[in-house]
Amino acid sequence: MKGVRTNKMGHLAPVLNLGGFRLDLAALFMIVLSSLIVFVLCRLAVRNLSVENPGKLQNFLEWVVDFVKGIIGQAMDYKTGAPYLTLGLTLILYIFVSNMLGLPIGIVTEAHDLEHATFLGMQLFVEGHHDHLAFAWWKSPTADASMTMALALIVIVLSHVQGLRKNTKHYLKHYASPNIVFLPLHLVELVSKPLTLGLRLFGNIFAGEVMIAVILGMGIVGIPAMIVWQGFSIFVGAIQSFIFTMLTMVYISQTIVHEEDH
Amino acid sequence: MDYAYLAAGIVFGLGALGAGIGNGLIFSKTVEGISRQPELRGALTATAFIGVGLVEAMPIISLVLAFMWAQ
Repeated sequence: MKGVRTNKMGHLAPVLNLGGFRLDLAALFMIVLSSLIVFVLCRLAVRNLSVENPGKLQNFLEWVVDFVKGIIGQAMDYKTGAPYLTLGLTLILYIFVSNMLGLPIGIVTEAHDLEHATFLGMQLFVEGHHDHLAFAWWKSPTADASMTMALALIVIVLSHVQGLRKNTKHYLKHYASPNIVFLPLHLVELVSKPLTLGLRLFGNIFAGEVMIAVILGMGIVGIPAMIVWQGFSIFVGAIQSFIFTMLTMVYISQTIVHEEDH
Repeated sequence: MDYAYLAAGIVFGLGALGAGIGNGLIFSKTVEGISRQPELRGALTATAFIGVGLVEAMPIISLVLAFMWAQ
């Protein structure tokens, strides 16, 4: 496999090698940026809260909160699920903003050779041999597999910890139900849930960005294709954020609500 | 012989096959449901697109793998 660490069509990720730990600077900056955007958006929405005369942003945020309440209500009864409203709200807003960020803009810097590929004096790390060093600094944070897997792990670990704390007997018994023969299946499910949750989001957004790079390479012929693809990417970004939040609530409900069917 | 391109092609081809069949099943049932109860059109379509997002997870992962191998 030649040309590793390219995130799209030959663009490298600006990676710092901190004693073996590889830090992707583009992902770092974009994660901070999307966190800032979500924070500013939400703080602006809760300024001058009013019941009779809500502003547009307040209306929008109230709609999102109602939407997440609906998602939680579908997965489990709302009384048990109420503590997870903030989690669901954070996930859906953050993932949606992250998915949208990589669409409009691309920032690429070039370096002549490896010695000049530095960031603030620190040498950027490039694996393999490339004749042409081009670093892409702007991408969706969710187009980075480590980021989406981190989100998925947070959510899955939370569901297991809550299952152990609140529902210990049923949670441990469910691994051997309906029959002990099902134990390997449940163990496979234990691994596959975080994997598919994270990789689904990563694959959708990463493939969208690769496609944008391909269409850019087509030049002027690709302009109608770019319009169509950007629209489709907005749609996919919204759907994937919704699916992530919904699956989070479903997995949490599976571990903490056990009494009915077992 | 460079098997990477062959692997990429096979992986993504099978993934596309799975995606096509899966999405076809979803939407055929959706259209059937809409024909039975036209007033549920909005809810059925929304559920269909959620199902598409879930079904396309594996084919999209195979797309990422194919890109990794073909580079």
